[in-house]
Amino acid sequence: MYGWIWRHLPGSAWIRALISLVLVLGVVFVLFQYVFPWAEPLLPFNDVTVDEGSGATP
Amino acid sequence: MVRTFSEVCLTAGTLIVLFVAYVLLWTGVKADRAMDGEMARMRDRWAAAPAAAPATAPQPAPQAAPPAQEPPGYPPGQAFAEMYVPRFGPDWNKPVLEGTGTDVLKKGLGHYAGTAPLGGTGNFSVAGHRRTYGDPFKDFPELRPGDTVILKDATAWYTYTVRGAPLRTLPTDIGVVDPVPRRSPFTGPGRYLTLTTCEPEWGHSHRLVVWAELTRTRPVAQGRPEGLPS
Repeated sequence: MYGWIWRHLPGSAWIRALISLVLVLGVVFVLFQYVFPWAEPLLPFNDVTVDEGSGATP
Repeated sequence: MVRTFSEVCLTAGTLIVLFVAYVLLWTGVKADRAMDGEMARMRDRWAAAPAAAPATAPQPAPQAAPPAQEPPGYPPGQAFAEMYVPRFGPDWNKPVLEGTGTDVLKKGLGHYAGTAPLGGTGNFSVAGHRRTYGDPFKDFPELRPGDTVILKDATAWYTYTVRGAPLRTLPTDIGVVDPVPRRSPFTGPGRYLTLTTCEPEWGHSHRLVVWAELTRTRPVAQGRPEGLPS
């Protein structure tokens, strides 16, 4: 998988390494900005109220 | 084949490590930033609201009354008070926002809509994260009878004194935020405060609840109340 990406990147080894780094940073950015904020509420740490979840008004 | 499999495993492992870092560290960074923003906006609003300020400055005597005249509801999602809990540390200072939705609790502590206003008769109830999003209520189980929970709005400081140790209860036990909270040491109507958070620390099977009652109010013009490091 990673070997396939590496082989399809253009340029010399240095340029490929640079592009790889940018790709990795891009993936991390997308994860932190979009994927993790979506996944995090599925964990139980948000349940701090006594009305069984959010929004409900006792 | 083996190579692809090991790459998938490595990727999954990296993802999990990143996600843990996100939950443990990054949500805290985001929440601290959001809380600072809420706090700054709230203080700007207070500074920009001359209606409240001159009323308190010249005549401090009728200061116990204002909460009663306060409008029944705060604007949803907006910060309206700041909370200090000396037990949680001298620098512990968080904004209280109206509502207990997930988005609200990412930006501060949440006031249960429909419960009493700050300083009012009834039960001013507040929920907060114990873990993640800045860990505001991390030291919740350390609260002891006699500890103070101090709140400040545009006009006054409100000192609530904790009665009874934190109680472990079920998430469905909504009676704990009743005007006279069920299972609390209180028997008659009064000016109470309830704090709730999750229990166990990283779980959601139970809730931890602590009650306090209003013991002092003090106009903002008179400065910070005692028991609060300046």
